[in-house]
Amino acid sequence: MICLALPGRAVALDRVAILAEICSEDFRAQQAALESLAAAGADEGREGALWARAVVEGFEGRDLRCGADGAFIEGPDGLVSAETLAPAAPDGDLSAPSVNLRLRATAASAGFVLALFTEDSAEARLRAAGRLDRRREAVSAPVLAAALEIERDPAIAAVIGEIRTSLLLGDPDPTRRAEAIGAIAADATLRNRTTIAEALANETDPAVRAAAEVALAEIDRTLAIGKALATLYSGVSYASVLLLAALGLAIIFGLMGVINLAQGELIMVGAYATYFTQELIRIVVPGALDWYLFLAIPVSFGAAALVGIVMEATVIRRLYARPLMTLLATWAISLLLINAVRVGIGTQNLEFHQPAYVSGGFPVIGDFIMTSNRLFAIAVAVAAFFAVLALIRFTTLGINMRAVTQNRAMAGAAGIDTRRTDRLAFGLGSGLAGLAGLALSPLYNVNPTMGTGFIVDSFMVVVLGGVGSLAGAVVAAFGIGQINVAIEPVYGAVAAKVIVLLLVILFIQRRPEGLFAPKGRR
Amino acid sequence: MAANDAVGRVERPGLFRAVAAAMVAIAVALPILGGPLAGGPAGISPYFANIVGQIATFALLAIALDLIWGYAGILSLGHGLFFAFGGYLVAMHMLKAGYVYNGVTPDVMTFMGWTELPVHWFGFEFFPYALLLIFALPGLLAFAYGYFSFRSRVAGVYFAIITQALTYVAMLLMFRNDTGFGGNNGMTGFTTVLGFDVGDEGTIVGLATVSVVVTLGIYLGCGRLMRSPFGRILIAIRDEEDRLRFLGYDTLWPKLAVWTLSAMIAAIAGALYVPQVGIINPKLLSPELSIEIAVWVALGGRGALAGAVIGAVLISALKFWLTGFAPDLWPFILAGVVLLIVTTLPNGLLDLRLPRLRAAPATAGSRAPGTAAEVGQGG
Amino acid sequence: MGEMGRQQAIQVDGLRVSFGDFVAIPGLSFIARYGEIHGVIGPNGAGKTTLLDVITGKTRPKAGKVLLDGSIDLLRLSEPEIALAGVGRKFQKPSVFDALTVRENLELALRLEPRSIRAEILNWADSRRASRMAEVLDEIGLGDAADRLAGTLAHGQKQWLEIGMLLMQRPKLLMLDEPVAGMTEQETAHTADLVRRLKAPDRAVLVIEHDMAFVEEIADRVTVLHEGAPIFEGRMADARANARVREVYLGR
Repeated sequence: MICLALPGRAVALDRVAILAEICSEDFRAQQAALESLAAAGADEGREGALWARAVVEGFEGRDLRCGADGAFIEGPDGLVSAETLAPAAPDGDLSAPSVNLRLRATAASAGFVLALFTEDSAEARLRAAGRLDRRREAVSAPVLAAALEIERDPAIAAVIGEIRTSLLLGDPDPTRRAEAIGAIAADATLRNRTTIAEALANETDPAVRAAAEVALAEIDRTLAIGKALATLYSGVSYASVLLLAALGLAIIFGLMGVINLAQGELIMVGAYATYFTQELIRIVVPGALDWYLFLAIPVSFGAAALVGIVMEATVIRRLYARPLMTLLATWAISLLLINAVRVGIGTQNLEFHQPAYVSGGFPVIGDFIMTSNRLFAIAVAVAAFFAVLALIRFTTLGINMRAVTQNRAMAGAAGIDTRRTDRLAFGLGSGLAGLAGLALSPLYNVNPTMGTGFIVDSFMVVVLGGVGSLAGAVVAAFGIGQINVAIEPVYGAVAAKVIVLLLVILFIQRRPEGLFAPKGRR
Repeated sequence: MAANDAVGRVERPGLFRAVAAAMVAIAVALPILGGPLAGGPAGISPYFANIVGQIATFALLAIALDLIWGYAGILSLGHGLFFAFGGYLVAMHMLKAGYVYNGVTPDVMTFMGWTELPVHWFGFEFFPYALLLIFALPGLLAFAYGYFSFRSRVAGVYFAIITQALTYVAMLLMFRNDTGFGGNNGMTGFTTVLGFDVGDEGTIVGLATVSVVVTLGIYLGCGRLMRSPFGRILIAIRDEEDRLRFLGYDTLWPKLAVWTLSAMIAAIAGALYVPQVGIINPKLLSPELSIEIAVWVALGGRGALAGAVIGAVLISALKFWLTGFAPDLWPFILAGVVLLIVTTLPNGLLDLRLPRLRAAPATAGSRAPGTAAEVGQGG
Repeated sequence: MGEMGRQQAIQVDGLRVSFGDFVAIPGLSFIARYGEIHGVIGPNGAGKTTLLDVITGKTRPKAGKVLLDGSIDLLRLSEPEIALAGVGRKFQKPSVFDALTVRENLELALRLEPRSIRAEILNWADSRRASRMAEVLDEIGLGDAADRLAGTLAHGQKQWLEIGMLLMQRPKLLMLDEPVAGMTEQETAHTADLVRRLKAPDRAVLVIEHDMAFVEEIADRVTVLHEGAPIFEGRMADARANARVREVYLGR
């Protein structure tokens, strides 16, 4: 332990007096000295803290020697002066001061406090803070405030801050307690709410009680906002996945009158394609593993689109005049896909690597954390939606699709290759489901039957939104997503599904053509 | 959106009579071969009789679906809902009867911590009351749903998908334990049916025979109905509903009538099925079963009741046989059958003009394969 | 317009129909009289089929009146009720019941008990049916094909069968939507003949057509529609001479 003692500086702590107290065999004096040492970091900054820590550790490790010339510490390179930490060669007998259990505990606590001021490693500071958390009686609030001031690591600061507030809550001075409550309430989390509620239960001072009640109300409001936002957020993320699946369904249904019951399984294909992209990258370019989700965008789209095009070419195209039969046919295909994956790959949930950009999140308000995985799903959906919008607005395929949707015979007569349009649109609709699978993979379990739950909701989106209406699909997807997510925590997932279904049935009583019915004679 | 997949006129009086004759033969043979002759070289085991009885209820279910899909052109992908409805009601009857007359406490009471069965179980021990409900409740449900759907002209794939969604929701509901119908485990542990011991061999053969007889009766009755002017109105609805409306028919009522009738027949099928398998659970409400019913009808041929029966018998017999030794294969075969029908045989087996087919119902019905194990068997 | 004395069968007054922002018929008033064959012609999008949709109850107008016999407000009735009130409509695409025989098709069309389908079914064997059937089969010339499935008929025969189904109903107002579209010349001639025989003192016949020659052959009076409004009413020969009609039809 190297120390640069600069004697010229004003020394707030009377080192000699403290060391004398430590060396006295008076238990009370020793205790007081250790407490002063613990405060060294607060009073004298890092330099003082380093000195105090050396003394405390010497005392605790029984390396401190007391003699007539003062106190010394037995270091690895021989004795040093406990006052200056410079090498020294004292005369006379030296003896170690006695250390009882109480003193040892006080010394240990002082050591942890000082570690907060002196340790360079964040890990060590965090460990020290964690130990202090369990011996709160040994530290004082002002010292922790000083530690908090110099702490840069938010995790450590959080622990220190918490110890400090809980100390303040126990302060004999009611004003301090009220202040502490105010300080805690500033960060409205469920945990802090519990802390204040506990304090309130034990509090007798009316002013502090009032402050606590105000604080609780405040926190409750913030928490409610946070909870509402969290619900909204998870609703939006569910809806965005739903939108992707439903958009594909709506394009196919609008164009060909075909309800693709295998749409859920195309979601599954997209998720599996994402998984295989990850595995391939893991083998070929392990360094790029973090970016697999982006590389999987074309893969998942392409894989699902390919399955869709094959479906269209082999089965669906024979069935355009028989929409009810397409239900059976696409169901059979979904059965095939599920079981092929089940037999070929297995039924277990796939393990996905979670790169930094889809783990964690940003705390917003209350307990609401904007999680990155959901943000990713929303981003994929929004990007895909605008891509589809652009495709339908501006490309030849889009124009052909709109023409065929409106009037197949006329479009055919006008020279549009309706067969090719059908096939490409089917590929597009299927590919969108694949993208939904990609967006889902950091969020949901990926297994062969993952898609079965989506088809009902997706279809409800199409019914509500109106066939061939993109705006309708968006509104319906978000409506259904929100209803699902809003009802689920209160009445359960089943009630959410029942209510959504009943709403849809009631709705099509009034508006059989959906929210945004296409204008014109039907 | 035209939802009427073109169906040619596929009614075949000869085939209809052949299937009826086969059913008569089975109805007569079952109690003899499974009764006095059981154990002899020509006899059949109660287990085999049980399978024949189960298949008969499937045939009945297929008839129910053919009425609305084959004749009226309305596809339901949710007929499992009515089948299960009938099944749950008969299960309630059997449990209540066992509780009242034999003192057997139903599992669901222990499970829910009830000391008394709730009020909606009142009177279920009386068979006539239970039977009335088996007709009335599924019928009412179908009527209400049908009224709202048909009135707002919900048809075609919309109708089909919504029936499926409805069934799916019912499944989720019944999977919940707090619904009070046994949740995931369903209801089982039946002891008595109409005073007979359900485990008794005579009861098993008897139930199977009753199933065949009821199916035969409904088959003949529906056949007659479909040949009547009412049947012609249904076919007209299927082929050109608008034309019929502009001829002055309010098509809501014929549709509602056949839809409700169909639901009630499905409920009867369920009420016959559950005593034979000894258990009812929400799996009957899974979308797969409901779609499978449509596959039976599509395979046998829509718009011909004989075809529906043949389709149900063939596919369910194949399933009984296959799930015994290769359960993993079944989904592939089922999917393959569907794809074959939809791509090459729009009217199912009726498209095959092979003379062999005339004999098919008799062979399929009387000699169903014997080495099968149905999940949920016994109880 | 000399025959003002004839009684009105259908009276359309101030009709306005729009779908969203699109106005199909901005304002149309129109009368068809008993004992007449009335042709309605006009280019695509003139509102001809929309007019039929409104009269038969398929489309609800935004404004206007549609009266049958000067007293029955059709806008208050449902599609089947309008049909039972005496309005028959033949669709543009032949709409017959393919899986039923010609005879069964006609049987279905005959309503002796208009109020109840159940009563109708119970009285199916009524002898009045058989005689009416023979009459109509003869009229549409499908007597030999009576027991054939309608689905096996030729295109033209299907059109005649559909007209026959309407005749079974003895409609007061018979509306034909492009009855000769897609027909051979021979079939067209037969149809013209058939339509002329549909003329009866207690019946108004409304024919919507593209084929001017056909209309000229059968119609006593024509209305020319353009963008949902009548631009001419009178005899076909006069219509051909009308400058506005020529402009609309032959382009500017």
